[in-house]
Amino acid sequence: MDPLTVLLVVLLSALSAILYIFIGILPGTDETATMAPILLTLLLMGVDPLLALVWFAASIAAFKMADSIPVALAGIPGGVMAVPQVPDALTAKDAGLADTILRKGIASSVVGQFVALATTLTISYYLMPLGDWLRATDEVLPNVKVARWFWILLIGLLVLALTSRNKGLALISIPAFALGVQGLRAVYGRSVYISFFLGITIGPMMFELLSMLHTELKKTYERKGLKEIKLAKIGKIPLNPLKILTREEVAQSTLWSAVTSILATVMSPVGLTILIGDLLRESKKDKVRGSVLAYTVRDAVKNATYIGGTVIPLLVIGQPTGPMAAGPAMPFFQKLENLGMSARDYLVTHYDYLTISLSLIGASLIAFLIAYPILVKYSRKITVAVFRRVPAEALYGLFIAIVIMLSYYDARIAGVFGTLIISIVSGALWKLGVSLGVLFMTLVAAPTLVAILMGLPI
Amino acid sequence: MGDEEVFYELYGEYVSLREFGVATLISTILALAFYFVSPYVANLIGVPSAGLSITLGAVGASVGFFISVFLTRVKRVIKEV
Repeated sequence: MDPLTVLLVVLLSALSAILYIFIGILPGTDETATMAPILLTLLLMGVDPLLALVWFAASIAAFKMADSIPVALAGIPGGVMAVPQVPDALTAKDAGLADTILRKGIASSVVGQFVALATTLTISYYLMPLGDWLRATDEVLPNVKVARWFWILLIGLLVLALTSRNKGLALISIPAFALGVQGLRAVYGRSVYISFFLGITIGPMMFELLSMLHTELKKTYERKGLKEIKLAKIGKIPLNPLKILTREEVAQSTLWSAVTSILATVMSPVGLTILIGDLLRESKKDKVRGSVLAYTVRDAVKNATYIGGTVIPLLVIGQPTGPMAAGPAMPFFQKLENLGMSARDYLVTHYDYLTISLSLIGASLIAFLIAYPILVKYSRKITVAVFRRVPAEALYGLFIAIVIMLSYYDARIAGVFGTLIISIVSGALWKLGVSLGVLFMTLVAAPTLVAILMGLPI
Repeated sequence: MGDEEVFYELYGEYVSLREFGVATLISTILALAFYFVSPYVANLIGVPSAGLSITLGAVGASVGFFISVFLTRVKRVIKEV
């Protein structure tokens, strides 16, 4: 790696960490909606995929560390992944332990990220030779060739559908949504991707927004007065992370980070965070101790699943086989016109394994060196400043503007309307209890799924 | 701003639909304006326009965000407990 690249790695990691500290603290910032468009923009701008990966690793480190800050202080999640932490945070807050969970969450994020990097980079190294075998195709029906990785994707898709709140609808929406996507692609006459991806991303927000065009539905969204946020006071927090976590918390965070980082290859990060936290909380007789342990380990699992869900599909399989890869990390897997291939393929053909690994570790290290002291020392001040200064309207307006611009870039004015229809369908399915991950993964599986459907003799 | 003013809960946040419309309009107009100007800028500085159009579009949207921060009001009230 030349000195300029090293300098860019440091600069981009630092910039990403600072940006995602604020995005993480902001309430209601969905991970895919905030991470994927920025990553996609960087790649479309012509930023080297290795530097985009560095940006992404640093954003995971800072975002997943910061999104639990408003949970600990006010019971408000800074991102979707922080939602499972809310009940435990409220229990701890009632027991006067807001500052305890705040510092434990920050410290266990560091544990989660590095344990996941060590685990998944080691596993990926040994599994990489399997990549060619996974990318080979078999003829499963007359004239229907299916790549072997598709079956891993399908398993992940079915697991995710079966863990959705509305299992039945999630299952039947898979072929239906795939047909809709392929139908639109046929109308466009080319394999449009970005507009559909962004449509799913902003689906829940657009669905709520468009519901307000209906007089009766609009009333259900009405709220009088300002939104009251109760912010807990916190004491001084030691800067040394080793003084923050108990031996049990370190052991549990390490164990579950390693396990969940692998499982996230096909499983949902949110689902795993809920599952592990609930298991640990129930293992303690004392409710408060159980909640503190669950909160702490969940913070580690958040970072671990995001890292694992990206690294293994990226380095071994080469296809987005899980909700993380098919969500926030999806831009790495799509063919980009400016590269002539996907960013993932560019990465593995232009850089060796050691360079990629060191870049991921370096980016995480730099992100934590910036985010950790800032959040330990100033988390409350930043939270207050963000809550008092950044209006939701300005932030949502920014997201929508970027989505419109990228949709136009993808398929001109038809792309904008493609995004609209996909977002309405996605938002409605989400509202009815279908995980957005199911839709992201269906988007990836759509060409093969439809080919199989059309090839069936029934 | 009266405490009993009516807002709408969107994605967990209270918003004024009028302010939301203004913020979205400003960011979108600026994003697209910067996007469409990019080929001329690229021609002027001698670089390929494909990557520059996304970059300038994102810059335009961000400028819109900063303008919107001053044109919209925060709907949260913080209480220390």
